Amino acid sequence: MSSLTKRYGDVVAIDEITFTLDAGTVTGFLGPNGAGKTSILKVLMGLAEPSAGTALIFGSRYRDLDDPARRVGAVLESNDFHPGRSGRNHLRAVALAAEIPLGRVDEVLALVELGKAADRRVKTYSLGMRQRLGLAAALLGDPELLVLDEPANGLDPAGVRWLRTFLRNFAAQGRTVLISSHLLAEVAQTVDQVMIIDRGHVVASGRLDELGGHSQTLEDIYLDLTEGEAT
Amino acid sequence: MIGQLRAELLKQRSTQTVLALLAGMFGLVGLAIALHVLTPAASELATRSDQLPAFEVGTRVGMLFAALVGALAITAEFRYGTIRPTFLVTPRRTPVITAKLTASGLTGLVFGLVATGLMAGAVTVAFAARGIDNHLTSSDYLRLLAGGMAAAALWATIGVGVGALFRNQVSTLVGICAWLLLVEHLIPSDVARYTPGNAGLALAIQATHTQLAPSVSTLAVGALALPLYAAAASVIGWRTSLHRDAV
Repeated sequence: MSSLTKRYGDVVAIDEITFTLDAGTVTGFLGPNGAGKTSILKVLMGLAEPSAGTALIFGSRYRDLDDPARRVGAVLESNDFHPGRSGRNHLRAVALAAEIPLGRVDEVLALVELGKAADRRVKTYSLGMRQRLGLAAALLGDPELLVLDEPANGLDPAGVRWLRTFLRNFAAQGRTVLISSHLLAEVAQTVDQVMIIDRGHVVASGRLDELGGHSQTLEDIYLDLTEGEAT
Repeated sequence: MIGQLRAELLKQRSTQTVLALLAGMFGLVGLAIALHVLTPAASELATRSDQLPAFEVGTRVGMLFAALVGALAITAEFRYGTIRPTFLVTPRRTPVITAKLTASGLTGLVFGLVATGLMAGAVTVAFAARGIDNHLTSSDYLRLLAGGMAAAALWATIGVGVGALFRNQVSTLVGICAWLLLVEHLIPSDVARYTPGNAGLALAIQATHTQLAPSVSTLAVGALALPLYAAAASVIGWRTSLHRDAV
């Protein structure tokens, strides 16, 4: 990503951000509420237009990639489903649009352990099941990069552990994960490197052990950099 | 584009929205049959000019519900946030909007056929049962079905365009209902001849020498005007969808 700015009225949500993700790693994208995390991901994934600059991913705008759903899978909100549609039909519609064989739907349902609930309407799903259904849709194209906005929000401890294991396994296959979060304890256990943003700027990035002295926890680093203000 | 079209058709089939609209349309056509075919005295239905207005109501109801199908195809995505997964999997938005217009147009054809077919059947059976001479010609019936289907399909694309512009589901649906059921009736007839609803009626009904004549134009005017409205609404919906934030 390079030279990106996003304004909402007079508020600059993103100001000139560039970052690189290494294959085989999980990167945590951290920042206070309102720091611009979600805005950056939406602009990166083509859901929102930058006010200036261009958001590039794999060297092009997301919409200019040849087969975008097979390069990047993304979940930017945890509840983007029609309540009256079954989980399976949600996935089938996504697969049809991306021209992914429908047999893949059963595979991703098995991956996120939703097979038994697949034919129920989404309105009967728990929050954890919705998070996993969103993840299943992102996985349909078997992408190289997963982009997840606050994927652990609302998950119970078993769900958090399931997600962590899943993301570690995904990265272990040589693929890449970018997760935004404000749950520091969870991030510290899941990610290889972090990128911390505040008021639209990257204020720190790197491997956890390189960011501070050994005595500093991620929470110390984070609160130092973001001045610990409650927002 | 074929993939997006199949996805849009699956989205229509995989919730109960379209079935609920179809049920609502049945109800409204039934009411129209009661009011325009069963209730009037036989003397009020003596001539072809008296008999054609029943077809008007069937056509208008078909257009209305087809427009609601189109409007819901896009506003439901904004209401439930599914527009995000939709645009994530197809980030070039033109194929998404084209597929919505096409899928809604196809479903609109079916709605038009059902509404006008029900009305045509009811008129035929009711007139026979009541011993009223049926002065409607086979070309009246044919034009009702073909014109009613075309008008409904075009109105479905108007629904998509209006929905893409306003995004808000309630205001879009209320706006479409108000326009077709109320506003067009308030417009002076020399102007109303060219409104999209009355242009749709002109496709389905020959209005010369009937009580419809003041506000319903000729087939030629309808066949020119309604596709222009549909094209304009489609282009507006497409253009406004291209770059607006899907947040």
